[in-house]
Amino acid sequence: MREVALENKQGIVELIADKVWKFFSSVKLAVVLLIILAIVSIIGTVIQQNEAPERYLQEYSQATVNLFEMIGLFDMYHTWWFVLLLFLLTANLTVCTLDRFPHTWKIISAPLKPIEDEALKALPFKKEITVTGGMDKAEARAAKTLATHRYRFAESRGAGTVQLITQKGLYSRFGVYVTHVSILLIFTGALIGVFFGFKAFLNLPEGTAQKVVYLRNEPLWDKILSSLGVIESRVQWSPEAGVPYLPLDFAVQCDDFDVDYYVNAAGMPTGMPSEYHSTLSVLDLNGQKILEKRIRVNDPLTFHGITFYQSSYGTMPDVRGKAVLKIRKKNAAGQGETVVIELGKSVHVPSIDRTIKVLGFAPYGMRNPETGKVVLYRTDNDEYINPAVQLEISKGNKPVYKTEILKRDPGAPPLPEDYSISLERYGGTRYTGLQVSKDPGVWVVYTGFVLLCIGPLIAFFGSHKKLWVRIQEHKGRTVILVAGSVNKNRLGFEREFNRIVDEIAK
Amino acid sequence: MKSSLLFDIATLSYLVAMVLYISYLAFRNKGLGLIASLVTYFGFGLQTIALFRRWWESYQMDIGRVPLSNLYESLVFFTWSTVLIYLVVEYKYKTRAFGAFVLPVAFLALAFINVAGISPDITPLVPALKSNWLFYHVLVSFLGYAAFGVAFAISLLYLLEDTKEQGPVLNLLSAMGAIVVLASIGYYLASLGAGMKTAFWLGLGVLVLAWFIYLIVAGAKNKSQVYLFWSFCITLAIVLLLAMGMDFVYLVSFQRLAEGESLKKHLFETTFLNPSMPVVFITWAAVLALFWLVWSQGLRLKNLMKPYLPVQDQLDDVTYRMIAIGWPLLTGGIITGAVWANSAWGTYWSWDPKETWSLITWFIYAIYLHARYVRGWKGTQMAVISAVGFLAVIFTYLGVNLVLSGLHSYGGMN
Repeated sequence: MREVALENKQGIVELIADKVWKFFSSVKLAVVLLIILAIVSIIGTVIQQNEAPERYLQEYSQATVNLFEMIGLFDMYHTWWFVLLLFLLTANLTVCTLDRFPHTWKIISAPLKPIEDEALKALPFKKEITVTGGMDKAEARAAKTLATHRYRFAESRGAGTVQLITQKGLYSRFGVYVTHVSILLIFTGALIGVFFGFKAFLNLPEGTAQKVVYLRNEPLWDKILSSLGVIESRVQWSPEAGVPYLPLDFAVQCDDFDVDYYVNAAGMPTGMPSEYHSTLSVLDLNGQKILEKRIRVNDPLTFHGITFYQSSYGTMPDVRGKAVLKIRKKNAAGQGETVVIELGKSVHVPSIDRTIKVLGFAPYGMRNPETGKVVLYRTDNDEYINPAVQLEISKGNKPVYKTEILKRDPGAPPLPEDYSISLERYGGTRYTGLQVSKDPGVWVVYTGFVLLCIGPLIAFFGSHKKLWVRIQEHKGRTVILVAGSVNKNRLGFEREFNRIVDEIAK
Repeated sequence: MKSSLLFDIATLSYLVAMVLYISYLAFRNKGLGLIASLVTYFGFGLQTIALFRRWWESYQMDIGRVPLSNLYESLVFFTWSTVLIYLVVEYKYKTRAFGAFVLPVAFLALAFINVAGISPDITPLVPALKSNWLFYHVLVSFLGYAAFGVAFAISLLYLLEDTKEQGPVLNLLSAMGAIVVLASIGYYLASLGAGMKTAFWLGLGVLVLAWFIYLIVAGAKNKSQVYLFWSFCITLAIVLLLAMGMDFVYLVSFQRLAEGESLKKHLFETTFLNPSMPVVFITWAAVLALFWLVWSQGLRLKNLMKPYLPVQDQLDDVTYRMIAIGWPLLTGGIITGAVWANSAWGTYWSWDPKETWSLITWFIYAIYLHARYVRGWKGTQMAVISAVGFLAVIFTYLGVNLVLSGLHSYGGMN
């Protein structure tokens, strides 16, 4: 496609450059690269990626583990050779695009010329018809037919001959370029993300704030510059955390964390979370609140380009929990009294003149509807499905009675005395697991996505069609020649072409 | 009427329509063709009502979600889209010949629901799935899969028409020999431990891929090999379905499973992975017999249907059109998935097996399109690429969940 004359005086550098250019502009290379990428990608789906070393030793022998480790099969998609393949594909796409575009541009910008007998031979679609009624009528009919098929045409007149020349769908020749550029944009955006963004996580206990996040992927640009001594890296390392961390220029606080569960027909939680959410506050470094948002899965919080995603939750080990109880006297106005009692401790409640002690706690309590007895369960990961506390109520130092209070308890019997106790929440010991990420390249990637949706549609469903209608007087009869060409969808064009010929012949 | 009952009637209609379409070709009776179409329209109508009905039922159950969120619903939707695309093709091309090949794809997908014991319950969504992207992602992906499914069926028809003679029996015998040798090596290596098993699957994968590449490059010259590939595809579909059906019948109907245990762990236990050696031998003998049967009878089938089959050029064209529709849809499916993942986890691409396999599928069809546009390939080779592409689709869709593990566990069987 590219016109490069290999002249004798061409130097060795140009020769090599030309060879390299030819190599990268071939579609064969693209197909070969796609095949290789497809095949090696399979390996990474068969061998689990980024597992703990012990897991691998369970499955493979030590020698195999060593070998796989050397080739990088446990983190295959980030090895130098896989990245190199992606870069080759990118280079191939770029060169292909640059190589072919001038040719396409020439086709697009070329003005339509009247058809000559010589050029006619090469056209795939042509038909000659003889009609009666003279040239003017034939021309009018041809003009009308082209107009109804939405072709805008130019006229060219010679001695005893008229030509209507037209084309449609020029834009479709851009489709392939839109598609290829979109893929280049996605690659570029991904690179921007790797160099200037980071991935991190943060386990934030309820009620606490943090000014750092723990890194999974450091910003590469930072790493390169700091290793060259240009800047000092912001990334720090603490021995107790065991992972590198990045200080933020603000603090994130988890005000509240909560899980909702699906309930069964009896109104009891099933243990299957329907939603979990954290109320996060962003504080400046003086502790002033800047903003607050309740995040949930699929609805993150973004501040200063850093996004916090709700990803998991759990219970902090070795921290005693606190029960938040609401006590309300019967027939009394107002909200009642709220007290916070730590597990194992007791608190005096003035409004009812009783002392309440929290004897025990279970993450899942259930009341048997028949016997009325409360059964307490442990849960996986200590998940708080329906928290329950065991309370001892005393007057002065004398115990009055013991009872179990469940967070959700539709069949609860009334207490022996004239007030009610409800468990608002059992808290202070849970943490919310946040994924943290900064990706300045994501908008470049998204632009690529949009173009990648549009490009193929233009390329596949548009076609560049050309039509010539030549009307000539020949020995007292009017001879009409219709000829056409198309770069795609020949069957569809053939049908349209035949219809046009029929309509002109009518 | 409950949606599940409507779905069952629709499944039955597709079975009847499939038989009718095949007999329409075999007996060359136009009336049968018309009835086949009518039955398909009927089944499709019922299935459409059932889809909306199920949507409504989920609101009745206080769950309220789009009926596109688990394996059962996705399989139903895949069939629905396949039949929809087929009906459009039948209408546009004024031919009923494709029905005998497309309806089996739809019916097999529905049959898979039953033999794999996939639960039709409306289950609540886990928090990660609660996003508007779920609807677009599944909708676009499965319309794409359906277009590829239709392309696959038509490509198989093309390959059958393409075959003028079976070729020497030696072809079949060497293929059978290869199966026997590879299976023996597989069992031996698998007995040595998980690492060796992985190595075997990788090796087998490379061999199969090499065969595919050979077919694509040299298939036009060596059509008896392509016919072997055709027989292989048909045999594979029948064997997988029968084997899973037997698992289901034995394990579920005779209640051999412990409470709450998933069928997935016991896949092929009644056949290929049975502890008793004779059963394994009988299974493989049956596979070889079936392979032989398909290979020896395929051409007879073709000659029977010949007068009603469309010309190859048209088959090639329809295959291309289906892929030209399917590929942008698959692209859209991958993109919506990526955008969704970014809004849920902050990463638009994490190379998890499902993502990677969808990308592999995307590559294969990209190769198809480049071969056609830039190199001007047509015919046999393109039909082979299209068939291989759909095998990748099936693996992306079902294989990843059955065999591999990753983020997309929602689409799984348990």
